Amino acid sequence: MSRTSGAHTRNTQLCVLLQSDVCLLHVSFPCFYSHQTSEFTLLVSNLNHAVQSGSLVVPQVVLSAFQQHKEVKLKSSPADLVTETDQRVEKILISAIRNRYPQHRFIGEESVAAGERLELTDSPTWIIDPIDGTVNFVHRFPFVAISIAFTFNKQIQFGIVYSCVEDKLFYAQRGGGAFLNGEPLYVSGQQDISRCVVVTEIGAERDDVALSTTTSNICRLLKLPVHGVRALGTAAVDMCQVATGGADAYYHIGMHCWDIAASAIIVQEAGGVVMDTDGSEFDMMSRRVIAASSATVADRIAQVIQAFPCCRDDEDNCRCGATGVN
Amino acid sequence: MADQWQSSMDHAVAIARRAGEVVREALLDDRAVMTKSSSVDLVTQTDQKVEQLIIQSVKEKFPTHRFIGEESVAAGESCVLTDCPTWIIDPIDGTTNFVHAFPFVAVSIGFSVNKQVEFGVVYSCLEDKMFTARRGKGAFCNGQPLEVSEQKDIQQSIVATEFGSSRAPEAVDRIFCSLKNVLSIPVHGLRGAGTAAINMCLVASGCVEAYYEIGIHVWDVAAGSLIVCEAGGVLMDVEGNGPDANTSCLPARCVSDGCLCAGGEVDLMSRRIIAANSRTIAERLVREIAPFRPPRDDAPPPN
Repeated sequence: MSRTSGAHTRNTQLCVLLQSDVCLLHVSFPCFYSHQTSEFTLLVSNLNHAVQSGSLVVPQVVLSAFQQHKEVKLKSSPADLVTETDQRVEKILISAIRNRYPQHRFIGEESVAAGERLELTDSPTWIIDPIDGTVNFVHRFPFVAISIAFTFNKQIQFGIVYSCVEDKLFYAQRGGGAFLNGEPLYVSGQQDISRCVVVTEIGAERDDVALSTTTSNICRLLKLPVHGVRALGTAAVDMCQVATGGADAYYHIGMHCWDIAASAIIVQEAGGVVMDTDGSEFDMMSRRVIAASSATVADRIAQVIQAFPCCRDDEDNCRCGATGVN
Repeated sequence: MADQWQSSMDHAVAIARRAGEVVREALLDDRAVMTKSSSVDLVTQTDQKVEQLIIQSVKEKFPTHRFIGEESVAAGESCVLTDCPTWIIDPIDGTTNFVHAFPFVAVSIGFSVNKQVEFGVVYSCLEDKMFTARRGKGAFCNGQPLEVSEQKDIQQSIVATEFGSSRAPEAVDRIFCSLKNVLSIPVHGLRGAGTAAINMCLVASGCVEAYYEIGIHVWDVAAGSLIVCEAGGVLMDVEGNGPDANTSCLPARCVSDGCLCAGGEVDLMSRRIIAANSRTIAERLVREIAPFRPPRDDAPPPN
């Protein structure tokens, strides 16, 4: 991918400089919903450059906080954590984008937690998880990602997942392929479930129904058999393993739209499939997903796993069998 | 005073690094897969090639040393530990990951003398992380000292475990019973990178508070056991403190500043292990694990 210089007018770019006490954010985003492929190319090129030169500072905010002691609060369960860094990063991102595109809308994890309405409309919308893998972040387990997806007419147009500690930038634009640090990504293409490595997460629910369902799902898969089951602690990074071909499938019940919107398009653009856990069409608000190297594998997983009851992200007061905050 | 095992350890680090290069190169090719004890217990030519590479290189430098290597044992060699200096080798820990190019693959080399682990080397090849420990001298990753997490509250802990390669229903059911019990404590989360050696290094690094598994082999954990101990952690059997009654067991004693550290003892041939940042966390996990006994690594082969 080559950088073009002097991008103006049609290649409108969002360049935002946000000076705060300790950090600088420099983010370049093109005007996506005019379907300018060249602009996305330029975006990614700029992002790569920014990451390599260290000027993409939102990850730096995450990384410098990574090594520090963190004040942790609980959200819906004793395993659903949030830190001040989550909230700060989300504010920086939203503020920067809103400053440039005041008409755009946002669905951000921490904004929703603070009471913002979660509703996906046809408007250009940014779906943001400032730190996917907050438990990992708190423990310094080295898989922590910033996830940003952009939708228009309720369709995901592009997705970016930056795995900060690994310095891996995963991204994809609708119709433009998927990439990791500039290299194209392809799913494994595996069709045989008995040769699959499946990635999943236990999630944050700790009530008996959710835990019984979650563990029995893994148990049934293991007995098929599959080659193995893995868990890295972040839905976004887990799903990107499917896009790279390192894993053959990912499934999850109970995650949120901001966890998987970006990686869903990354998997699709790498040649994979994304669907609901009952085999129906993928619905990012349903809080259920299977992402796989092939429809055959996805269907097989859909046959085996069960979902525990989980209200949709776009329902008011959505919770999944919450045990309440300690 | 000179360390009589220093040259062995230096060689282990060098050969582990070389082996890691072989693994990385092999990842660029097709990886033809064979199976061992079950359809999900995988082995490749690279496993065998890397083990031979390590053993040959050690034999040239240290002709009296002995070996327990995963693939040699699979080919019929003995897995009984003696007092002789012995290299305990897993050429590729995480073969399933290797076959899939899932990014956690390690070369693991433990070295025992008088049935005691003297040094351990785990090279996580794709991350280029060299974990090492010398008994009494601490644990390191790429030269940086390692320390276990200080967390003593199980409810604020991450636990690593694996489901193993047995698909026998009784084993799988017990594994899932343990899993659900541990999650229900509740813990912050459960993780599985797919290799015992790397999971143990995660404990030593402080990223997770504990790792437990039933079904591992001595070559998976010999090196990691010392790395955990030298980082300040403990080892324990899944049923709690106290070694197996078998007198040929291999206790991994953690010696720091000349005193036995607060760790328990574990029999590395028992195929069961808890590695944790503290006795508190380890003992709490013991309460939740549904134990079973796979055949010991040093059991005589059937017939």
